[in-house]
Amino acid sequence: MNPLLEFDEVNKYFGETHVLKDVSLDIEDQDVTVVVGPSGSGKSTLLRCANRLEEIQGGEIRLDGESISDPKADINVLRQRIGMVFQSFNLFPHKTALENVTLAPRKVRGLDDDVAEARGEELLDRVGLSAQLNSYPNQLSGGQQQRVAIARALAMDPKVMLFDEVTSALDPELVGEVLEVMRTLADEGMTMMVVTHEMGFAREVGDRIVLMSDGRIVETGEPKQFFESPETDRGKRFLSKIL
Amino acid sequence: MADTYSGATADEGDRGSGGLVDDTTLKWLGVGLSSLFALAVLALVVYIITTQVDFALMRTVLPQFVSAYLLVLQIVVIGGVLSVTAGVFVGLARVSKTSITNGIATAYVQFFRGTPLLFQIFVIYFGIPTLWPGTFPVQNWGFPTAIIALTLNHAAYVGEAVRGGIDAVPDGQMEAARSLGMGYIQGMREVVVPQAWRNALAAIGNDQVILVKDTSLLTIIAIPELMQQFRSVNSATFDAWTPLVLVAIAYLSITLPLMRLVSYLEDRSDWGGDSQ
Repeated sequence: MNPLLEFDEVNKYFGETHVLKDVSLDIEDQDVTVVVGPSGSGKSTLLRCANRLEEIQGGEIRLDGESISDPKADINVLRQRIGMVFQSFNLFPHKTALENVTLAPRKVRGLDDDVAEARGEELLDRVGLSAQLNSYPNQLSGGQQQRVAIARALAMDPKVMLFDEVTSALDPELVGEVLEVMRTLADEGMTMMVVTHEMGFAREVGDRIVLMSDGRIVETGEPKQFFESPETDRGKRFLSKIL
Repeated sequence: MADTYSGATADEGDRGSGGLVDDTTLKWLGVGLSSLFALAVLALVVYIITTQVDFALMRTVLPQFVSAYLLVLQIVVIGGVLSVTAGVFVGLARVSKTSITNGIATAYVQFFRGTPLLFQIFVIYFGIPTLWPGTFPVQNWGFPTAIIALTLNHAAYVGEAVRGGIDAVPDGQMEAARSLGMGYIQGMREVVVPQAWRNALAAIGNDQVILVKDTSLLTIIAIPELMQQFRSVNSATFDAWTPLVLVAIAYLSITLPLMRLVSYLEDRSDWGGDSQ
């Protein structure tokens, strides 16, 4: 079977800067792939290319064998199968938690309000926020906002979820509740691509660790092997800095 | 956030550090000066009303002021609705990444902000009919001129307010909308514009208050609006203050509720209390 999400020789430039250099990566169905690396290594850019928030200049990205990077691809349809959670939450401030979750199902899928709301309530319950359905984002803590953002992405029934440093903007005591939701999601078999600095999470929940440096993938491996005996010098240096 | 420093107002005995006066003195200085000013204005108004205003004349001319008031109100409502609606589209065009749309919108805004409204009124009132010499089809061109000129002029200002409002919405909002499968137009309509509207509301309200006052320029093309009534009463009776008081009451009875309406709309879109 094909990998669910494939990066095939991906190249990306910001002006003159070559930020992704021949990046190839397969993400298998139900796997949790954790991308780590120093800041500026291109890991967030790689993630953002996966739902075409950034255009690539070379190579191809495919979801279920279908090209995402092809200019002719219907990106609005493809994006519904790719959930994205951002570092800065990006909740819609003029909508309640429930409205944040139901907006896209109603407007993009055309679901009836009551169907979308029932599903929205169920998802918010899953992330532990059934008491905050009618709260506006600025009435919620950072951790609660990020959990709403996860529920919002899940509402479109995506095949793969992208997490872009989702705990980096949180107060330390709020990180746990968000990671807990992600852990549950992984246990339920969601395919996930996670860019993070949380090495504990990477080690515990990840099926595979990908180390990026300078726009390239320099090492991939199982968490245990990566954290205990990295193969490359770059891997060793990275671990010596963070552990 | 607006209340963060409210506890820091000058309390009794609160001595400021540095400067010429301490905080308490400054506070009472402010109270004294503003009271003095208010008293002076009040005295002037009472003096004018008791000695200058001719109430018999006021009763006689009231009907013509009422009909002028209703005409101004009509122009304001039509011009307001049209200019705000058109302004939203001008603002959207101003943030368009398509260079033709963007360029045309920019040129439009620059022209209408860069020339006086009075000039624009003259172009439409005197200039346009001469393009059909002797055959211009519209008989009473004054009222259409008023609506067209005020709409085109204020759509440019509202457009700039809307553009500023859109620019103030973080890029992440559109990214979040797009990542959920919404198209650009859908993301604009559902996510960006409602927030931009809130951001722009104060500036739009400000512009609409100016629109009310701009109707006074229409006296130059003999629209029977409020300033026109002043001129007719004043030239017939040489009484200045009686019509001036009526003019003031008429304008304020439109602008003050309008300002209240804008504050109400701002409060209503506060989305769960203290804004970001």
